[in-house]
Order: sequence, then structure tokens, then C-alpha cells
Amino acid sequence: MKNKSIGDYLRRFSVPLMFVIICLICAPISGLSPNYLINEIVTRIGRNAFLILSLLIPIMAGMGLNFSMTLGAMAGEIGLILVSDWQIVGIPGMILAMIVSIPISTLLGLFCGKVLNMAKGREMITSYIISFFINGIYQLVVLYLMGPVIPIVHSTIKLPRGYGIRNTVSLLSMRQHLDNLIPLNIMGVKIPVATFIVIFLLCLVIIWFRKTKLGQDMRAVGQDMDVSRDAGIDVERTRIISMILSTVFAGIGMIIYLQNMGNIATYSSHSQIGMFCIAALLVGGASVDKASIGNVFLGIILFHTMFIVAPKAGTVITGDSMIGEYFRVFVSYAVITVALIMYETNKRKNKSKAGMQLALDQEQEEANG
Amino acid sequence: MDKSKKRRLIYRIAAFVVILLIAAAMFIIGRGHTVYFDNKMPENVGTEVSVPYKIEVIVADKTVAKLKSGERGMADTMGQNFKMQLLVTKEKGGDAARLQVGLKLPYNMDGIIINLPALLAGLDENAYLSEFVYVPSAEEMKEEEVVTDDTDGQMNFEG
Repeated sequence: MKNKSIGDYLRRFSVPLMFVIICLICAPISGLSPNYLINEIVTRIGRNAFLILSLLIPIMAGMGLNFSMTLGAMAGEIGLILVSDWQIVGIPGMILAMIVSIPISTLLGLFCGKVLNMAKGREMITSYIISFFINGIYQLVVLYLMGPVIPIVHSTIKLPRGYGIRNTVSLLSMRQHLDNLIPLNIMGVKIPVATFIVIFLLCLVIIWFRKTKLGQDMRAVGQDMDVSRDAGIDVERTRIISMILSTVFAGIGMIIYLQNMGNIATYSSHSQIGMFCIAALLVGGASVDKASIGNVFLGIILFHTMFIVAPKAGTVITGDSMIGEYFRVFVSYAVITVALIMYETNKRKNKSKAGMQLALDQEQEEANG
Repeated sequence: MDKSKKRRLIYRIAAFVVILLIAAAMFIIGRGHTVYFDNKMPENVGTEVSVPYKIEVIVADKTVAKLKSGERGMADTMGQNFKMQLLVTKEKGGDAARLQVGLKLPYNMDGIIINLPALLAGLDENAYLSEFVYVPSAEEMKEEEVVTDDTDGQMNFEG
């Protein structure tokens, strides 16, 4: 905290500040009422927070932004597809989908962790490619094995050809059941109390987890793997556990996300989720090696405010809503790119600073000796 | 095996059993059914029953169907214990009688038809309860093109 100038703070919070400015400009232009805007933001906090919180643990363990959270999302979708076919509805359906998704997420997280241990230093690109690889396996399972191998009975879920899952699976039987479990309406703003309680519990778990032995180990591994190994920490195991936890939380988060949406786009729901969650976290002021719970919530508010107002503002300014759509997609990818560049630049800067310091120390030593 | 490892193993097994029990409980309490209410003459029961002029079906304090003679209504429900209130008006202009009905729904049926006149006449379960077999429409049975890739068609550079 010491010796930090305003410039340092501006640099550190440049992304959230930029988004605050964009939102402040676009919100009045969009013409959306404050009530509508607040309603939408509250809904999106409930929908996305759990998913984004799942990204915190790998960052803590120094594994960067977990692009393979998509794996957990796929596990969550498989749980929901099976539960829909078994006709288990409402909150019990959600709980059962979570129970089904956990072993799948655990296995996928274990696999991902093992692969990332083989690609230390290149975790983000590796996890990004793993998500494409596992997407192929997901498609094989959902398109060809569901029906003949994994029993699927209902024709509303199964493709007319007799195997594989339809493009869209309806979750009407559990749509917003968690959100509406404890109904609360404050001045026309619908608050999903039960969902917020679940999110709050996860926040508490993360705070508690940081203080545990394993949490401390993860932080140590995140700071320096070699020093941690010398201190007796099983670095590989710690990293694998962080991936498993993240994937399991992502699976549960995806179920909460989809119960709010009310349907599953079987082959595309998960594909963009990682990208948007990571973008939201970065917009909240997080970086590749540092993120907090505050970043999650600030990120959701700013990123999704932009998501809501940009198309409308685009329509008002240019007469074409697609401009706003392009803008928000472009901004999502741009934010991730900027964060990655900043991370690499800082890493190099710190490395050269350390090198210069070392040279200075050596010079001083030689002069003294 | 030392004591701490043994204790850890016991905790893990206990956690696994608890999760299995929760899953089993969810299977039972979360089973969804669509219940269809018929206010019409039951078929193949061998006896004549009177069909009321109007029946109002109330489930969980909500009116889910107002059925005149020959009509069908429906409600979605969860679990096997189904409770409903019936407001039965036997003849036009007559007073409505309120009845509380509790039924045990069969687990294996997604859609269940309850013939209300047969139920009110006190007939056997086979007479008032039958399975609703869902027949997909021609539209639903049309072959569906699966889109698995966002770049579908974009990588085709031939013309």
C-alpha cells in the first residue's frame, strides 16, 4: 500500500474505471428505466455470481484464469439433462443434478489438474484448449451415447432419430425455483433471496478456505512453486485440488445459472460461459494472479450493466441494435486480451527489476569485498 | 492402517452414504407428475356414474381447473402424495359441495389421468386412475438439425 501514486491506482483500476465511464454514458442514452436496470442487474448477480466465484481458487493457486471451468459447466448440463429425463423437478431436481454433476466435475477437474501440472507456466492456454477437447467428448456423449448407452426415455429430450439430445432442453419444471424459493420484492425489484444465500455461503466457504492449511498452501504455491516445494508442500497435489474445487463449483454454478434461464442450449450453453465469466471478473478489477470476492460482484455489476445498456444505446445512436451487440462482444474479448498483456508486461517488468537489483547487490558486494 | 487414516476413511464413507441418501430422497420427493382431471363419463368400468355439471379443482390453494361436463384440466405436481380440493356443483344453479381428496400417485407414471366422476362415485382405483401416454406431434417428430459448432459453415471456403 505504501509509496503508491495516484497513477499506480489509476493503472490498477483502469479497467473498472473504463467500464464505469461506458456505463455512465450508455445508461442514459439507452432510455432504460432505473427500475428495469436494477432488476436486470440483481437477476444477473444471482445467475452468474456462483460461476464467477469458482474462478477464484485457481487464481489463488497461481494457475491463472481457469478457462476450463467450461468442463464443470458441461458436467452441470449432463446432470440437468439426466434429471429432466428422470422427471425430478423443482429444488429436489436441482439438488439431484448437483449430486450427479459432482463426480463428473471431480473426474474432469482431476484430469485437467494433471494436464496443467505437465504444462506449468502455460496453464491458461492449456486449459483453454482442454475445454475444446472435452467439448468434443461431451458432444460424443450427448449426441451418440445418450439414448443407446445412457438411457433417455422422453421424446421431448431425445432427438427424433432415437438417440442424442435435442438442441434445447426445457427446464420449465425447475425454472427460477431457487430464485423464487424465498420471495422478496423491494420497490418493484425482485430479489432472489435463496440464490443470494447460496452465493453468500460460497463466499464464506472461500474466506474460510483461505485460512485453512490447504488454502495457505495454495497461496504459497501461487506465490512461488519452488519455495513451496522446499517448504514441504505437495505442489502438484495442491494444484490438482484447486482445479477439482473450481470445476465442481463451476458445475453447481452452471445449474444455478440454467435454472434461472429455464432451458439448456445443449451444444452451446457452456461454450461461451468461461469467456464471459472471466471477462466479468477482469472488469471487476481482478488480474491473472490476483482476484477477490469484491472483484466478482463489481465485475458482474459493471459488465452486465454494459451488456444490458450497450445494445439499446447502439440502437438509439445508430438505429441498429447489432452495433451494441458487436460492441459488447468486442469489449469482452478486449478486456481479456488487455489483462493478459498487462500480466505478461508486469511479469517481465518484475523480472527485469529483480535482475537489476541482483546486479546492483553484486556490484555492491564486489565494492565492499 | 493408523488411527487417523482409519478415521478419515470412515468420514469419507459416511459422507458418501449421506450423499447417496440425499440423492435417494430427492428421487422420491422430487418426482414430478402431470395430473389430468377429467369431468366425463369413465370408460370400460361397467357401471354408470353421474357426471357433475361443474367441478372446480384447487391444488395448493390455487384453482387449477374449472371443468364443465366433458372437459379436461391439468396441474403439475411434485411427489407421490397428491392433495386437492374439489368444489362440485352437481346441477346448474345448485350449491357447490367442497371435498378434500388425497391420492397416492404411482411413481412410474409421468402423466396421470384422474376421472373425477369415477373418483367421486367411490369406484376402484383402476376405474378412476389411468396413465396418460404422451404422443409427440408431427412437428416434434420432424428431424432436427443439431448445431454443435459456432463456426458452422464459416470454415467452408468453397464458393
